[in-house]
Order: sequence, then C-alpha cells, then structure tokens
Amino acid sequence: MNDRSRHRRPATFRLDDPGVVVIDADEAGKPARGTVQITPEHDPAQLPVPIETQVVPRRGLSWGTMFWSGVAGLVLLGLGLGVTQLIEDLFARSESLGILGIAFTAAAALALGVVTMRELTALVRLATIEKLHARAAAVLLSDDRTESRAILRDLLRIAHQNPQLARARSALAGHADDIIDGADMIKLAERELMTPLDIEARRLVSSAAQRVSIVTAISPRAAIDIIFVFVASLRLIRQLARLYGGRPGALGMIRLLRHVIAHLAITGGMAASDSLVQQMLGHGIAAKLSQRLGEGMLNGLLTARLGLAAIDVTRPLPFTALPRPALTDLAKDLLKKREEEE
Amino acid sequence: MPPGFSDIIEEARLSARALLDYGESFFNPTVRLGVTGLSRAGKTVFITALIHGLTRGGRFPVFEAFASGRIARAQLTPQPDDAVPRFDYENHLRTLIGERRWPNSTVDISELRLVVDYQRHNGADRTLTLDIVDYPGEWLLDLPLLDKSYAQWSAESLALSREAPRAHLAAAWHAQLTTLNAAGKEDEQATLASARLFTEYLGACRDERFAMSLLPPGRFLMPGNLAGSPALTFAPLDVPADGIAPEGSLWAMMVRRYEAYKDVVVRPFFRDHFARLDRQIVLVDALAAFNSGPEALHDLEAALSGILDCFRIGRSTILSTLFRPRIDRILFAATKADHLHHLSHDRLEAVLRRAVAKAAARAEATGAEIDVVALAAVRATREATVSRGRDRLPSILGTPAPGESANGEIFDGTTEVATFPGDLPADPESLFNGEAFRGLSSTEAEKSDFRFLRFRPPLLERDGGGEPALPHIRLDRALQFLIGDRLQ
Repeated sequence: MNDRSRHRRPATFRLDDPGVVVIDADEAGKPARGTVQITPEHDPAQLPVPIETQVVPRRGLSWGTMFWSGVAGLVLLGLGLGVTQLIEDLFARSESLGILGIAFTAAAALALGVVTMRELTALVRLATIEKLHARAAAVLLSDDRTESRAILRDLLRIAHQNPQLARARSALAGHADDIIDGADMIKLAERELMTPLDIEARRLVSSAAQRVSIVTAISPRAAIDIIFVFVASLRLIRQLARLYGGRPGALGMIRLLRHVIAHLAITGGMAASDSLVQQMLGHGIAAKLSQRLGEGMLNGLLTARLGLAAIDVTRPLPFTALPRPALTDLAKDLLKKREEEE
Repeated sequence: MPPGFSDIIEEARLSARALLDYGESFFNPTVRLGVTGLSRAGKTVFITALIHGLTRGGRFPVFEAFASGRIARAQLTPQPDDAVPRFDYENHLRTLIGERRWPNSTVDISELRLVVDYQRHNGADRTLTLDIVDYPGEWLLDLPLLDKSYAQWSAESLALSREAPRAHLAAAWHAQLTTLNAAGKEDEQATLASARLFTEYLGACRDERFAMSLLPPGRFLMPGNLAGSPALTFAPLDVPADGIAPEGSLWAMMVRRYEAYKDVVVRPFFRDHFARLDRQIVLVDALAAFNSGPEALHDLEAALSGILDCFRIGRSTILSTLFRPRIDRILFAATKADHLHHLSHDRLEAVLRRAVAKAAARAEATGAEIDVVALAAVRATREATVSRGRDRLPSILGTPAPGESANGEIFDGTTEVATFPGDLPADPESLFNGEAFRGLSSTEAEKSDFRFLRFRPPLLERDGGGEPALPHIRLDRALQFLIGDRLQ
C-alpha cells in the first residue's frame, strides 16, 4: 500500500450508532453524505470450495516392469558376451585388428552413454514440466503462497532457455517478493511468460494444419497422405514441446505422443460434438467444389486438434488467466490462408 | 562446557524413554503434537477447535486427507499418561459455544489422545494416534536456565529489569534489592519478600498495557502445586558472575534454591514431555504486542528466539527416532488473525516470519521444516468495508468482549461494532528497526497506532440439530502442515 494509507488511524464504530448505516453488499444505492457506511463483505471462506478428487498413480514396482527389466538385462548381457568374444577372436587373429575392435567398441559405448544421458535428461525435463503443471493446478485451488513461489522459481529456470522471454522473466522475478497470494501469482506468471509462447504455439499449429491440408489436397495417393500427416504431427508435437521448454528425445516423443493421444481421447468427444461438426457442415461447400479439397480441410482440422491437445500436454501451466485457443480460431486461420492463396 | 556426569545420565534416560516410545509406536503409529504459546496466545481455543473440527467434521478444504474423505473418523480415547491432567475438551467447548466466552487460560500441562482412522492413498486402512500435549510457553523459557548458573541468570535478569519499560515496574523490587547483603547470613524473611516483589514485577510486565513476553522463570507466574515451596522462593541478587558463594550466606541459599528449581521443575518437564514431541506448533499473539508497543514486540522476538533455541530440531532419521527424538516440523502461528481484515494477513505473517527469521534459518540448515501462518482457530468476526468520507477502511465486524473499550466507551458484550485496527506496514523491518510505533505502554489508548479489540466467540447457527462447525481461518493449513504427511 502507499505511504498515505500507513497513517490511517484505528477507528471503531458501533453498528447501532445513528450516524452509521449498514448497507448490503448487493445493494447499489447511494446513501446520504456524511454518514459512515458499513458494507459487510461476502466471506470467501464460507463459499463452497470445490474439492477435486485426485487420482493417485500406482506406486511401486509392477510385475511388468520387472519382466522387462529382466529381459533387457539378459539381452545386454548377451550383447556384452558377444562383443567380448568377437574382440577375443580378433586378437587371436591379429593384435592390430583386436585394438581396432576395442576402439570401435569404446566409441560405440561412449556414444551410447551420451545418447542415453540425453534421453534421460529429456525425460526428466518432461516429467518436471508435467509435475509443474499439476502443482500449479493444485496451487490455483489451495492458494498456497510458499508453493507458488517454488513453482515460480522452477518456471523461471525452465524459461531461461528462451531468450525472447528475458524481459518477462525479469519482470516476474521482481514480483517474487511482493505480497501476492498463491493463485494470483500463478496467474501473473501465466500472463507474463505464456502470452508470447501461446501466440507462437498457435502459429505453429495453424501452419502445420495448413501444410497438411494442402498436401492432402494435392497428393496422388492416400498412403502419402497418411505418412505426411504422421510426420507433420510428430514434428508439430516436437516443436510445441521445445517451445514450452521441453526437449524431447526419442523416448520422450513416445511418451508425449501417448499423452497427447490420451488427451485427445478425453477431449475428443466434446470437440466433435460442437466445433468439428459445425466446421464440417460449414465447409460442405468446399467439399462440393472438390472432394480432395474437403478431405484436405478435414485432415487439416484433425491436425489442428492434435496440436491443441499437444499444447495442453506440453504447457507448464494450466490455462486460467489466458484463454485456451479454440479450434474455431485455428479453423479461421486455415480458411483465411486458403482464401489468400486462392 | 564439557558434559558433566549428570548430563550423561540425563541423556541416557532420554534415550531409554525414546526407545520405549519407539517400540510402542512401531505397532501403533503415534504423533506427539506439542501445542504451546505464551499466556493468552490461544492454546486452549486452538486445541478445542482442532478436536471439534476433526471429530465432528469441520470445513477443512486445505487439509487434504480430510477434504478428500480419506479420514473415516476421529475419536477421543482415554488419556494415556497417568500423571498428566486430561485436556478438559468438553468443558472448554461448552464455554465456547454455549456461553460464548473464551475458555479460562490453562496454567498447567495437559494432554489428550485422538485416534484417527483413515485410509491411505493406496487403499490400506490405517490408524494414527495423535497425542496433543498442551503446555505453557513460559515453561519453554525455563529450558535455557538448564545451561545457566545462578550468577549468570541473576546478571541477565537484573540487566533486563533495568531496561526502559521494565525499570519502572521493577522499582519496588530494586529498592528492596539494595537492602540485601548477598554475603550476609541466610534470611528466610528477606528471601520471601524479595521473591514476592520479583514475582509482582514479572506479573506487572505481563499486563495488557506492556505485554512483555520474556519473563523467566515461568513457574513464578503459574506456580501450580509448588506455590510457596522453597524451589519457587528465590530472586536474583546483585552478585559477580564468577564469584563463589560463602557458606551459609543468603547468596548460597539462593543458589541452592535455583538449582532445586532446575531439578524439581525444569528437568522433569524436559524429560517427560518436551523431549518426546514429534511436531510442534507455537502460537504467538502478535496483536497484543502491537497493542502495547515496540518494546513488547522486541521482547516477543527475544522470547521466540529463546523458545526456538530449546527445540531439538532436525530431520528425523531411524537412529534419531530410536535414541534422540527430534522435532522435524515446527509451525509458528500468529493467532487471532480474525482481528484483522484478510488483506492484512500476509503482513501479519511477514512480521512473524521476520521475528523468527534467524532461528528459522538455523532450523532449515538442520533439515527441519518451519512454516509461519496467520490463523484463527475460532473465527469471531466477519469482514466489512467501512466508507467514511473518502476513506474506505477494510474492517471487521464483531461483538467486543465485556470490558473492552474504544473511543472512551466501555462495551457491555452485546453491542456489535465495526472496527478498523490500523494498517500493518508492508515492510516488517520498519516495525523492528528505528521507525517505531506508538502503543499502550507509552501513550493513551486514543493515540496508539494499532488497536485490536478482543471479540466474543461467534454466535453459531444450529441447523438440523447437529453441532455447528466452528468457523476458522487457515486452521486446515496448519493441520496439513503438522500431520498431513503422516496421513498420506
């Protein structure tokens, strides 16, 4: 608060004092001047609090994991044995060949180690982002201040790799010590950090959708469509993950894809019922003009939906302060571009 | 100081006790929750509200185990320690809800056992026994005496009593002190008079207008069954810190009684109760210090750091649980947060956080968790905005307790008022450094910078005949911090 308000003196008013008027919060009347008006506030603590039942992931070692670990261990052992024998054979034939073999093995082992490390860090990073998403959602409910500060710190660390966020980051870091409630802090962070990223994400999704729709429209064979759509979707997911701070490797991509498809399955029903049907009807004209054009449109929209699901999965904060991009917006982009081109 | 033989024996007894407790809690998981706070901080109300909320079902959205429905039920069971009084929950509840009075302050330790049946996240049925131990915070301030000799304690007490607001209160005792001859022959009457004056001085410091907190030895103000015994009949003397008391002198008698106080009062408390706690909540009435003035706030800070120094804190490990139990979570709670508009709660927390900052940093280094919260175990007020001219004052509505006064008017306990207690500063440092504020200890009630009235407990509406849930502020957050992890 400002300086002036620091010097406000304590004051007490009797409610039955004739100079005091108690007015209801809902009343918008303008009482006489000179009186003291008291407006009881709605108590935030008395309002019903939504409690989300949380689904607890199963902990501990499952039998499936144990089986695969065992099999993987056996395969590794077999591989090691094979390589050792090969090198021994090489040495038996000639010493220089053996040394060459050792050199190759070492190079392969080193490369494998580095690749594994990379994959692991990528997985950890993805997990961090997912956890961040869940924690932020929890704080939005619980309004916990210390936790919101911790989330902010993690978020800033993830956002550090994105140079265009430098200004937003420093602005946000300046707010870290201010007195802001937990949920508000998360919303502030979302507004500051996510706005530029959301715009970029939307552009990525709509450009991927356009590409898919054009390629579908002109491709000679259905097989080419399928391959292209698949590759474009993978590329889109990877780009979005990168944009929001994850750097998925091969394993990470598999994990992300699983999540995106699962998410698509959950939200798919809703989306199909309203926007998609509407879009398809709306572009019935395009389909009438040319069957291929209509198919292209449909494929583009599907890609866009996949992109939206991917945004939900890869974004480190849930959508609260900012609007969630809707399929209709993207469809508009798609049409606009199409019109410009034609 | 190298550990003496008696210290080693003491440690051994503690370890034996811990081992016994561990054996019990292995089959029957138990959390011993210590609830403490200086007088009038609201310990009794906190425990009553906590038990009421858990057994009858309160509104605890942040307390995850309760909100998600995993706690099947919680019930009181007979008090386990035979030598400790039971916490008189039923009576306190009746006073609180039926008579709309705050319960009388407790002067002794008390304990209550609550058994919580719950289901773990993975579905297994479990039971957690929660032993709530309530003891006066003044007793904590005695614990540092264990490491102090009589001469050290005398010197510190005298120095403290000669500081600004206290010197005036201690005048009578100081006058009597000058007539005493430390090296002279022991004299029961002089000692009695001295102890009485010293106790009166401590009592005066606790008055609402001064609200001092650092007043050891604690039992002088709440003697219980030891009243009048020699262990409570001594007072500081003006003696050199490294001197040796001549045999048969007044000084020697004081030293003997001081040591007796440690043996009879302080050590048993430490061993039987304090050293066995797992979790601790320290309730702090910061608002009384604001009412009184900067000296009271400084005193509170000193008392809090004194309290924190006594805790054996640190992350619990198996070894430590076996031989030397530690407190691994401490919550500092600024009580009576309902006397402030919720916009100021964060500032109240900031003040408390500042007061415990040094101690908290040390505790965090040991791995213990420390948190600070502004709470009201029973919420007595509603919030309102008062518009007076251009000012919009964030205020609270409530019924002041009989005898409270404002604007020169004394309330009778039936009038409802809206009160704006004054703005807490955004930066807590300004309260502690230089830029002090005016309180009751130095100025008239009308001129002070803060005025927190005491309100009567809320009028509860009974719907459907069941016990009404007590309204609260952040009691659920406190619970989540204190025992939430044990109910995972």
